[in-house]
Amino acid sequence: MEGRIIVVTSGKGGVGKTTATASIGAALAMEGNRVAVIDMDIGLRNLDVVLGLENRIVFNIVDVVNKKCKIRQAAIKDRRIENLFLIPASQSDNKDILSTSGIKRTAKTLKKEFDYIIMDSPAGIEKGFENSVVAADEAIVICTPDVSSIRDADRVIGLLYARSITPKIVVNRIIPKMVAKGDMLNHQDIMEILSVELIGLVPMDEQVVISTNIGLPLVMQNDSKAGQAFKRIARRLNGEIDLPIEIPISKTGIWNKISQKFGLTK
Amino acid sequence: MLKELIKKLIGHKSSKNTAKKRLQFTLVYDKLEMNDNILNELQSDIINVISRYFKIDKKSLGLKVKHDKNMSALVFNTPILCVKREKA
Repeated sequence: MEGRIIVVTSGKGGVGKTTATASIGAALAMEGNRVAVIDMDIGLRNLDVVLGLENRIVFNIVDVVNKKCKIRQAAIKDRRIENLFLIPASQSDNKDILSTSGIKRTAKTLKKEFDYIIMDSPAGIEKGFENSVVAADEAIVICTPDVSSIRDADRVIGLLYARSITPKIVVNRIIPKMVAKGDMLNHQDIMEILSVELIGLVPMDEQVVISTNIGLPLVMQNDSKAGQAFKRIARRLNGEIDLPIEIPISKTGIWNKISQKFGLTK
Repeated sequence: MLKELIKKLIGHKSSKNTAKKRLQFTLVYDKLEMNDNILNELQSDIINVISRYFKIDKKSLGLKVKHDKNMSALVFNTPILCVKREKA
């Protein structure tokens, strides 16, 4: 069977695209799939450091698309997670260096060699975004519960629809305490505004900073709430569509329970 | 939580509702590439036209944004008090 190309995008920068790509990719590989995560942020690569593979880069995606090397040569095999491969971005080139036809040709080969190809899109809706979505079968839009991120997500969703891709949403960095207070949009609010399918809710988690510091995939840390959430997203992508979406909650004290009863919190 | 109860009792608005409302309108403005003024003018024009035929309660006129996968709709809601017999 042919592999699926999934683009991870957001419009706004800094909402957690790279962390999501690394986590979902790693989780899918841990489920036994052959996975390639590809950094499409040409000139500003970061997926390599998030995965802790920055010291092993020889070739990159630009080399692959421009036929300077084979996919096998550019794909760095993760030594901790079997079946996980990273194809890094080039750090010295410009986003215009990739041709649409080259990307499409590369995508065809990738689909033969991998079950999942996760593309980490750069922020913005310019050439880098176009390059990331041109060969995509599916899309995951990452947003955080704030107005600027949701507005940008809406714009990107529109652009994806225009390419006949129906995106799914991940709401990242939810702070349950603030949601309970009514000072942060909850996922129902966000779904109402964006009206697309939800695929996961990820709580704010300090472990993300720690895991990036040491270059260890988040999903390998069992005490990470965000890591657990990304694992569930991966399982949902991998066919477990009935797996319920867990809503991040803060510690349930007696007051929380009472106030929830009285409809003070949602 | 007691604080929230007090806030609720004195009618304190949570900031997320403000965010939601602002977002819903912003997205419509973004898509139609228009601004608040145009919408206000449209609203007063609509009131004027309807008032030629019906007596309406101008204060309870509501403007809402309906958001769908394929389209966004502006919905004007107004209770009609009575029909005017003759055109003004």
